Amino acid sequence: MAKKAALTAEEKAARKRSAKNHLRRYWVLYAMMVLPVIYYIVFKYLPMFGSVLAFRRYRPGMGPFGTEWTLRYWKQFLKDPAFWSALRNTLITSISNLVINFPIPIIFAILLNEVRAKHFKKVVQTISYMPRFISTVVVVTILNELLNPTSGMINQLIVALGGESIYFMNMSAWFRPIYILSETWQFTGWTAIIYLAAITSISPDLFEAAEMDGASRLQQIWYVTIPSILPTVMVMLIMNVGHLLSLGFEKILLMYTPSNSGVSEIIDTLVYRTGLAQQNYSYATAIGLFSGLIGLILVSTSNAVSKKLTGESIY
Amino acid sequence: MKKSLKSILALTLALVMLVSLVACSSGSSSTPAPANDGSTDTDTPGGGSSSSGPIHVSMYYADNPTLPWKDDWLAAQKTAEICGLELEVEAIPSADLSTKVSLALNTQENCPDVILYQTTTGENASLALNGAVVPISDYSDWTPNFNAYVEKFGMQDEIDALRLSDGKLYYMPALTDTPFFDGGLIMREDYLKEKGFDDPKTFDDLYEILKAYKEDYPDSYPLTHLVSLYVTDRMTMPSWGVSFGKSSAGGTFVLSYDYDKGEYFTGAISDQARDYLQYMRKLADEGLMDPDLGTNDNIDGDVWSNKMATGYSMATYAYYDQIGGVEAASDIDGFKLQMYPSLEGPAGAHHQPKSRTGAGIMFPTATSKRDDFEQIVRAIDQMFYSEECAKIWCLGVEGETYTMDGDKVVYTDEIANSAEGIYKYMQVKYGCGADPVQQVWILDQELTKYDENYAEINAKVAAMGNVIQPVPPAPLFDDYTSEDANNLKTPLSTKVWIWINSFIYSGVVGGDDSNGVGARDPYNDDDWNAFVEDMQNLGIEEFCQMYNDNLPK
Amino acid sequence: MKKRYLTAENIIFDMIVYIVMIFVLVVCLVPFLYMITVSFSGSKAIINNEVFLWPKDFTFESYKTIFNYPNFFQAYGNTFIYAFGGTAIALVMTSLFAYPLSKPFLWGNKFFTKMVVLTMFFSGGLIPTYLVYTSLGIVGTRAAMLMPFSISSFNLIILINFFKGLPVEIEEAALIDGLGYFGILRRIVLPLSTAGIATIGLYYAVFFWNDWFNALIYLKGSQYPVMLFLRNIVNGTMAIADGVGASEKSSMAISLKASVIITSTVPIITLYPFLQKFFVKGLTIGGVKG
Repeated sequence: MAKKAALTAEEKAARKRSAKNHLRRYWVLYAMMVLPVIYYIVFKYLPMFGSVLAFRRYRPGMGPFGTEWTLRYWKQFLKDPAFWSALRNTLITSISNLVINFPIPIIFAILLNEVRAKHFKKVVQTISYMPRFISTVVVVTILNELLNPTSGMINQLIVALGGESIYFMNMSAWFRPIYILSETWQFTGWTAIIYLAAITSISPDLFEAAEMDGASRLQQIWYVTIPSILPTVMVMLIMNVGHLLSLGFEKILLMYTPSNSGVSEIIDTLVYRTGLAQQNYSYATAIGLFSGLIGLILVSTSNAVSKKLTGESIY
Repeated sequence: MKKSLKSILALTLALVMLVSLVACSSGSSSTPAPANDGSTDTDTPGGGSSSSGPIHVSMYYADNPTLPWKDDWLAAQKTAEICGLELEVEAIPSADLSTKVSLALNTQENCPDVILYQTTTGENASLALNGAVVPISDYSDWTPNFNAYVEKFGMQDEIDALRLSDGKLYYMPALTDTPFFDGGLIMREDYLKEKGFDDPKTFDDLYEILKAYKEDYPDSYPLTHLVSLYVTDRMTMPSWGVSFGKSSAGGTFVLSYDYDKGEYFTGAISDQARDYLQYMRKLADEGLMDPDLGTNDNIDGDVWSNKMATGYSMATYAYYDQIGGVEAASDIDGFKLQMYPSLEGPAGAHHQPKSRTGAGIMFPTATSKRDDFEQIVRAIDQMFYSEECAKIWCLGVEGETYTMDGDKVVYTDEIANSAEGIYKYMQVKYGCGADPVQQVWILDQELTKYDENYAEINAKVAAMGNVIQPVPPAPLFDDYTSEDANNLKTPLSTKVWIWINSFIYSGVVGGDDSNGVGARDPYNDDDWNAFVEDMQNLGIEEFCQMYNDNLPK
Repeated sequence: MKKRYLTAENIIFDMIVYIVMIFVLVVCLVPFLYMITVSFSGSKAIINNEVFLWPKDFTFESYKTIFNYPNFFQAYGNTFIYAFGGTAIALVMTSLFAYPLSKPFLWGNKFFTKMVVLTMFFSGGLIPTYLVYTSLGIVGTRAAMLMPFSISSFNLIILINFFKGLPVEIEEAALIDGLGYFGILRRIVLPLSTAGIATIGLYYAVFFWNDWFNALIYLKGSQYPVMLFLRNIVNGTMAIADGVGASEKSSMAISLKASVIITSTVPIITLYPFLQKFFVKGLTIGGVKG
């Protein structure tokens, strides 16, 4: 709280100063930005002109920006049933993913922080982040091994318990649970690093004070840890909401089977199949632009809401 | 306020400078286009066509992990030496080759001189028509060796079928004198012998065999699949006169080709298709066919061979090369696999359609800007299509890999006794017979690499006549029609797969309402009509019409 | 202190914590152990389902095969160059941008932040990007891997927030002592931010280590990293719809896949314990600060 006040005080002071003073005082900070800003312009913004393809007809080999203006691709995808079902699938899968996999790393980080045995804590932390290093291809390979109806560990267990093998990878009803759980496995430890970093920067005084007041460990978590990491949580949440339309594309593509395609076709796989597999770049760009717009709307809305409710925002 | 304006101004100025800088460098880098591949040391000054030194040529190769490119491959070194070429090969992982080729052709930047293993289907067709690819038929004087083989094999019609709508040919395909029967129904010969079964001739025979096996081993699924339903579908459907689904011939997913009428028809919703699905449904319902389809695209050969090796299955559709590996892995006494000729179905006995032409060699337009373009084309033609070099790509070098005993090819002991078989060994060690590079395939020569059994099966298939039908002709779409066709294809292809799977397997695995189809039975008229209606709503007829309207005359 | 700690509630809480942690340990470790086991097992034993968490028919065969692949070690060396070089450049660039952007009083701060956020949702297509890189002359050089990914907007925002959380008092004191902003960044802000830097550094290192797509697009064969090699081994035999059967005929042995997975992931995994030290350091500094 005190920090915040100090910042605003400085801000006010800065505003009062004349422009000349501002530059004389802060030119070093501006100088620092030169290289990164150039980086953004060259590597991120220049290629973005390619997005005009959404409104232009692309002909292979005839220049990157297409040959003539057209709205054909917007009309096409807006009335394409494949697009709307992909949009629905994307939203359902990614919202359920968010609901489940957003809180889990936070809970894990908090619990891990409560482990008193230092070495054990370190071991758990080290091992829990390991799945992040396995590439998606490998994760799906492992999933296939584990869930295989004949030789897979899980089905062998089910059969041993008197059940019948389940064809996990071939049933669309299982697609989302498998996808979400594999995300949990892959990213929990990794994402938790961010929250752990936030937790470690909480002043121990706060905990000591709470303990003096007779707070139990659960209460300490509730009244000290969580409020202290709330800014980080909110920033992560906003970014996650902004990325609702982009799921783990590669994994879904690899998990895609004919029988689960009714739920596993998402926007990214559709873009991939029309854009890369069928080489309809303009159509793919139009869909990409559209989902980018939705992402932007989502992020600015959640940013505004968060600003209002908690005072935290990413910009 | 004034100052802040100034800072913004400075920033925009910097920006403008930067953009112009980028523009400048792009301008300067695009002028010396011919020397783009960084071959400054080999560029003969003044475009010296006397070709005194070797010609430097960069090349894309479709790299497969089971067959990685090696610079010291005997076949590559020898043929390059004969033709005076200095190769710079970039081994691109085969799964990503199309992305890389697409970028190179689209931008003509950092382009290789030669791209191997290409066709002009899909995007390549419009790239070619828009001038990104050299129309090799315009330079046929420079490709005498290729022309000679086309004539020798009598393949002018096949070559003409590859021409695009402007009547030009944009790549030199691989040429085959007789298509091989390299894969098909593979079964446990030891089991058939033990139970006194004759070699199966029809799909009813197959059914009886599978049924007998299931009775003997109730926990088994006698027929299993190599990759999802891919290979099984592709190798069996033609006996019903249709091909649809993911590995449909021509990649249409829902259309089939009528060889008598010479046109496409809506194969997926035809009565033949229903008949086929009913047969498959019967196999699935009675537990004769493996319901485990694994994931879509990844070939998990280990799981597959595991099923065969352990007796979980006794029949499969796969390739002859794979038999050895499974036999070696099995602990079952007397375990022996055999490949059988195509079985007879309602439309006769047919294998998957095969083309006598294969993926081949393409020159990006950037190459034609090189001064020594003619030398390159001539040398490449010689390297892959001259009799001398074509033989090296197949058999290797006489005296090093083989000797002649009369007209019989005798491989060195090292090759003949290798554990993985002559074919595989020569591929990996010498590059001989590597699919992306060998361009001339002569059946008699190829058979020297296999055992007699394989030759016998091929002879049997050849005697049956017309088992292997030619690949149906591809329509010549213009850009817009091609986009429209693709837009119809995407939903059709997704939906047809769901239906096929439900029709075949929903009796075993159960229905799945979340995919919008649920449990369906091809024996049930209502279910079948619902499928037909769904396909019609998605425009299957319109799609078929597009194909037929654009067929080459 | 001790007494207050040993309440029933706290003990149950501790037990739950440990149970959860042990569960996490098992779930995370088993697949790795399985991969290691498979990579050392004989192929016959694997095919016959006899391998679980201990190698059967122990063999180095698959590792030998991998090491004999053309270019394996070259690819490995390339990966190290990209991971170290790329991360170093990225940390410098990201810090340079994050620090000014963490000062809300700077003019244009909002504008630049929005400019950063926007790139998280829109990106140029593959072909325009490729053309920009080509015109910069970096395609086909290692710079194509080191330069274009030196700021990730996500990591930048993390670092900005981290810097915002630092106490302003120290900076003000340093300013009064006559230290410039650059000096403050180097001598005060960065040392105070080891935890943040270590976190995003690891993010960058993992990105550079695991990336194969950009390498495929922008590099030449001799510059390919080991992940592309891994991809080719694990994923190279994909069925191509409508394709010739060439790829269907061949599949890689699972033991071979496993050994590539192990050899290509072990180095980056071992990196973490070293970085973890910095995390601990960050923790103690946090303590001093308090």
